[in-house]
Amino acid sequence: MTQPSPIRPQFRRRVDPRAERAARTVLTGQRPRLLRQPVAAAVNERRRDPRALRAAALIQSQPRPRYDWTRDAASAGTAAAVGIAVATVPAIPLQVIVEPAYLVLAMLDRPGGEVSEHDRQVIAAARLLADAGGGAVVTVCTGSGEALAEAGSDRHVALPDGWADDYVPERRAAAASALMTTLSPRHILFPDSPDGADVARRVATTMGERLFAGVQGLGPDRATRQSAGGSLETGHRPTRLMTVAADAFAPLDGVRHEARPLDLATPVIAGEEVLPRLGGARRLAVDPDALSLSETDFILSAGNGVTDWRSFADLGEALGATRAGSRVVCDAGHLPRERQVGASGTLVSARCYLAFGIAGAPQHLQGITGVRHVIAVNTDLHAEMIKRADLSIVADAQAVMPALIRLIRERRHD
Amino acid sequence: MTEAATNDVAVLLSIGRHPVSGRARRAATDAQALEMALALRPKRLTAIHAGPAADADALRAYLGMGLERLTVLVLPEDADPVEPLIAHLRRLAPSLVLTGRQAEDGEGSGMLPYLIARGLEAAVVSDVVRIGPSDAPDYSASMTDLVQALPRGQRRALTVTGRLIATVHPSAPPARASAFGPARRGVIEPVAAQATADLFLSECEHRPWRPKPKLMRVKRGGSALDRLKAATESKSGKGQLLVNPTPEAGALAIYDSLVEQGMLP
Repeated sequence: MTQPSPIRPQFRRRVDPRAERAARTVLTGQRPRLLRQPVAAAVNERRRDPRALRAAALIQSQPRPRYDWTRDAASAGTAAAVGIAVATVPAIPLQVIVEPAYLVLAMLDRPGGEVSEHDRQVIAAARLLADAGGGAVVTVCTGSGEALAEAGSDRHVALPDGWADDYVPERRAAAASALMTTLSPRHILFPDSPDGADVARRVATTMGERLFAGVQGLGPDRATRQSAGGSLETGHRPTRLMTVAADAFAPLDGVRHEARPLDLATPVIAGEEVLPRLGGARRLAVDPDALSLSETDFILSAGNGVTDWRSFADLGEALGATRAGSRVVCDAGHLPRERQVGASGTLVSARCYLAFGIAGAPQHLQGITGVRHVIAVNTDLHAEMIKRADLSIVADAQAVMPALIRLIRERRHD
Repeated sequence: MTEAATNDVAVLLSIGRHPVSGRARRAATDAQALEMALALRPKRLTAIHAGPAADADALRAYLGMGLERLTVLVLPEDADPVEPLIAHLRRLAPSLVLTGRQAEDGEGSGMLPYLIARGLEAAVVSDVVRIGPSDAPDYSASMTDLVQALPRGQRRALTVTGRLIATVHPSAPPARASAFGPARRGVIEPVAAQATADLFLSECEHRPWRPKPKLMRVKRGGSALDRLKAATESKSGKGQLLVNPTPEAGALAIYDSLVEQGMLP
């Protein structure tokens, strides 16, 4: 058998026998006659030529053919030669609500300046209430509203940066109450996060409103929440103050609203008229190894490639990271079982994951799907962990760990 | 010298509900609040429950933790417990009120500590894990030091001036076991109280909770190819790759990356 050549030959032109026959037919005379020589075939516009389409979509033939079907067939011939298809991003139409019938306030947490997933869910819930009757969603948080436009915010009230960095729930509640009186919105939604729930309850007590806490389902005329320890579903028409439970509403996607800054006649922050009864707030140092893996933010993880456990322990102390390991390490008894990351251990959601000597079994990668930034040190260039990581270093863990400890101690003494 | 704020403590106790069997029990965070109050060794410790008298048997589990007596404000079924509790606490005037963060049965909105704080004109702090008299240099008797639990296992220290209502976080010290003998010997004192019916709750409709489908983070929009890529491919090929650097160069790359992520100062 001959080996088929990897490069596909030029395709033949697609034959349309009926059109050719019609072109060769001469109708003058007593009966139709067929010419011998083929005339240039009439091109049928509606006829697809799948081979030509396929050839146009081919962007790479080595080592295996790859096709890009996203390009349109008309411009395909030119783009195929370049081999790089630039996908045109369809413009999302901007939705503008000029004269809102009513306002729905979304008081966001925005922890650390970035819009969290829970914040997006609150905006999605607010949109449910606003879209039912031509209302507008007003987001209230620190920072500008540009990032909130694609989450679904029509208007934005920017609180000054850093005014709620300290723990000042009384001040935040006072600002929310002030906004309630100036804007008189129909609904105010808070995220049911520790901070948001605290502020919502303070606002509810000062305004004397009933709070519908932890909303799980929402419609224009009915809101539901869990009660009696999660055994009952309590429904009521949407009240004025509500907190939105986490992961109950899908964040909006593919929408664009204007998030226009809202002009307020009176400033939101009413000075220091509230006498703060809570004070002296400061973060306490926490022993990282006392935290559970699911709630820690920074994990130092070891796999089968680690043999120098003293360096590993020292590095954990120097970094202030929670130590963890793969299944092999925990099976071997180098780390306790509750320190195991992966499908049969803990599914972690840390912000940073520093892995030494971990090859990246599928079960381990499943455990770190929620991690935002992965750094991997491994001797094998082709390990799955190297592909997953944001920073991959192909080196021996036993050499890098002491070098990293030395570097941290040097920088600390500077 | 005036008394420290932690010398006169009231604990608000509710009847919990076992999450699986649904049986009445001591509520988990309320028991932790009582544990915290007992650990403070106050001069006066008052434990209060507000609710129908028929439920009083489940309260004996709290007595078994070392309480001698427990006050029950007897309310009719479906009554709002906030007003009777405020009236009772005004008479007692404790300097510190401890309670759980949210009831395990009933409405469970978590509003009660906040409403009572407004009624008593006190400060309210949620998710407390440790509490004690202040050891600040400008010590005054009315100041209390406490430690609050934050998400991701973090802790925050606070100083509170004046009367305080604190709700207890589940990561506070665990409650001691309830002993049978003290639970039998303890006294439950019923006190008649005036209460109004909760109109909002009677407006609500209740039905058994049915689990909802888990929210999937699917990427919508784009072509089928984009969606397939988003669903099947893990993030790869975007990261920086250093092949066989010297240990120092590798360590420096890791250090810079950690500083960029804000994990190191």
